[in-house]
Amino acid sequence: MDKSNPDNTGEFFNQFLDDYYAECDEHLVLIRRALVMLEREVGAPAVDRSLLDNLFRSFHTLKGISGMVGLAAAEQLAHHLESYLRELREGTVALSEPGFEALGAGVSLLENVINARRHDQPIPSIDEIVAQLQAAPHVTPGASGSESVVQRWQIEFTPTAELAARDVNVNTVRARLQEIGELIQAKPIVKGAGEIAFEFVLTTGVDETVLKSLEADGLVAQRLEDSAVHKAQPVPLIAPSTVVRVDLDRLDELMRIVGDLVISRTRLDDQLTQLKLVTPPAAWRPLQETSLGIARQLRDLRESVIRVRMVEIGEIFERMTFVVRDLARESGKKIIVQLSGGETEIDKFLVERMMDPLMHLVRNAVSHGLEIVAEREAQGKRAEGLLSLSAMTAGERIIIKIADDGRGIDRDLVRERAKANGLDPGDREIDDAALLDLISSPGLSTRDAADRESGRGVGMDIVKNAIEELGGHISLETKRGQGTTFTLELPLTLAIAEALIVSVNGQRFAVPQSGVREVFEVESASTKMLENNEIIPYRGKVLPLLRLARVFEMDYPRGEKFHVLVIGEETNAVGLAVDRILEQREIVVRALNDPLAQSKGIAGATELGDQRVVLILDITALRQLAMTSPH
Amino acid sequence: MPDEPRTNNILVVDDSPTMRRMVITSLGSLRTVKSSQAGSGLEAIERLAIEPVDLMVLDLNMPDMHGMEVIDFVRRHQSYRNIPIVVLTTKGEESSRSQALAAGANRYLTKPFDPRQLADIVGSLLKTS
Repeated sequence: MDKSNPDNTGEFFNQFLDDYYAECDEHLVLIRRALVMLEREVGAPAVDRSLLDNLFRSFHTLKGISGMVGLAAAEQLAHHLESYLRELREGTVALSEPGFEALGAGVSLLENVINARRHDQPIPSIDEIVAQLQAAPHVTPGASGSESVVQRWQIEFTPTAELAARDVNVNTVRARLQEIGELIQAKPIVKGAGEIAFEFVLTTGVDETVLKSLEADGLVAQRLEDSAVHKAQPVPLIAPSTVVRVDLDRLDELMRIVGDLVISRTRLDDQLTQLKLVTPPAAWRPLQETSLGIARQLRDLRESVIRVRMVEIGEIFERMTFVVRDLARESGKKIIVQLSGGETEIDKFLVERMMDPLMHLVRNAVSHGLEIVAEREAQGKRAEGLLSLSAMTAGERIIIKIADDGRGIDRDLVRERAKANGLDPGDREIDDAALLDLISSPGLSTRDAADRESGRGVGMDIVKNAIEELGGHISLETKRGQGTTFTLELPLTLAIAEALIVSVNGQRFAVPQSGVREVFEVESASTKMLENNEIIPYRGKVLPLLRLARVFEMDYPRGEKFHVLVIGEETNAVGLAVDRILEQREIVVRALNDPLAQSKGIAGATELGDQRVVLILDITALRQLAMTSPH
Repeated sequence: MPDEPRTNNILVVDDSPTMRRMVITSLGSLRTVKSSQAGSGLEAIERLAIEPVDLMVLDLNMPDMHGMEVIDFVRRHQSYRNIPIVVLTTKGEESSRSQALAAGANRYLTKPFDPRQLADIVGSLLKTS
């Protein structure tokens, strides 16, 4: 900082912009979470005090740091949100429906204002929302309160540098106490010789021995006289976060280094194998054991790095509930959102790229899938439409479902639209997979009004591409009048994957294992030709074959046997024909950024340790290739 | 090094880590200063108990113990009552200025703050205390 020039203040604070955005993100997450809980209390006579305190503090902090970076719109908006919260907290205003709406709208706008600054876009006006917040009706809340009977303890903690070094400090002590009961007081006190201590008052039902066990850490617990007390309003105590914020780029760098280590280890392994022939076993074996030890440690290291990258998917689910509420209000629909599996973890990189596709699917479900109240009631359905978002892990993949109980997709309408757009949907009944392909075809999915009537369709091509680019897969299940479910399947993380190494005409390729359903050996004599397509019998049906050698325009020897990898879903599975399967191993995925090296069917490259580059196959692209052209 | 001026420890108390970094960076121009941080009022008082503190930069609106209570506590404690306190709080609570000064704060600044002004004030308080 140039101290002689006070006008540099703005520049001075600009160096904190990354911290500012990160802290804003953290608070917005906390705020959205609190709003979800607050919504349940709309109309209630008394609102959970600690919820209001937390919200208040987040707005207060956002106001403070926004002012520092000179983002006046965010500072003012946060100020008005904070003021409204203050009125709620002081009880001069009860939480009403319009008040909550204004709060929700204010938070969305605050996020937009911050993002506009982040992306150098014009800052939206805040006037309208501020007016709404100020106009939120002033209703005098009724009085209420519940009482329960518990035991009350006084706990004294004297901090010392020694205890602090053992991580026993006012925060960890408080966190432990909060686990076993409800803290109703936490204050510093001064003892005889001027020594500082902290006095906590805890109401809890736990046994005396639990509290006495705390004494090992210098805590003194004492039961207070009137063991039966009325539960007082708890003092809100939020343990400060121990979370460290790390830029995703730095984690990518860490992951890259781990990847390099994996490759070096593989190289070491190969060299050891060669050494085995010329080294006495007594000398070779310890080397081999060390190498295996490194392999195990590398696996642990890799898993730890991946864990650092993982975030809970619940955060974006919560964002979706806001989108749904806004859309529902605009369209006059009633919608209940059900979330489950929000604690499921997914790579931060994937989460960010999943936002838009998920948002699209949720919007479509609300706008086109779920009906208005009158239409639902006419069909004997419950007035409130149900939208459920769920997540779960299955092996190395995460499965996300977006389900509605709306009108379902009209196959006949989709068929008509497809024909009108020059597509050939065939004359048979369109099954779910074919339906998804149709509504995701660029011609159909980008059209607007007419396709809306068909129940789905805006931007589905973008959604499908985005998910497949991430190595994921989307499927659809829809029943007329009963609803639609989209199932997204994604890898938990990118960068390092299990793969099958296959050989075709002496060339090696890596096939990501998560996309392979089954592997088997086939006699060359058992293949047949059908309408220019090579097929083999498979599970009572036929499986179209895709010769990898043909895809990459190589010759292939017609051996007696070859191997088939089954890729894709049951209904549109394809058999990938390769000469041999060499091994199964971990590979480090590197994107091919050179446009000359980018070709259809190739997802990236990897090194297997012998310093030769092996191409990684793009299973989704290969499957599409097989569906569109005969092989 | 007998002629080297003593290093002063400044305790920066604010629940926002970004704000703490801004304050600490602003104080970086004072060469004889090191800093420690606390994210809440209780944490601040614990810092006092386990390390020497020469000056506090204190936010008011914080979780679990308001800055005003921290001032109260510090001013009533025989060992800490002379520690200079600079209150650094978000604009908009003008009534708290007189309260904080009456409770014993040495200076009262509002956010957004001028980094140079903060450093000057802290520097002069350290010189006179």
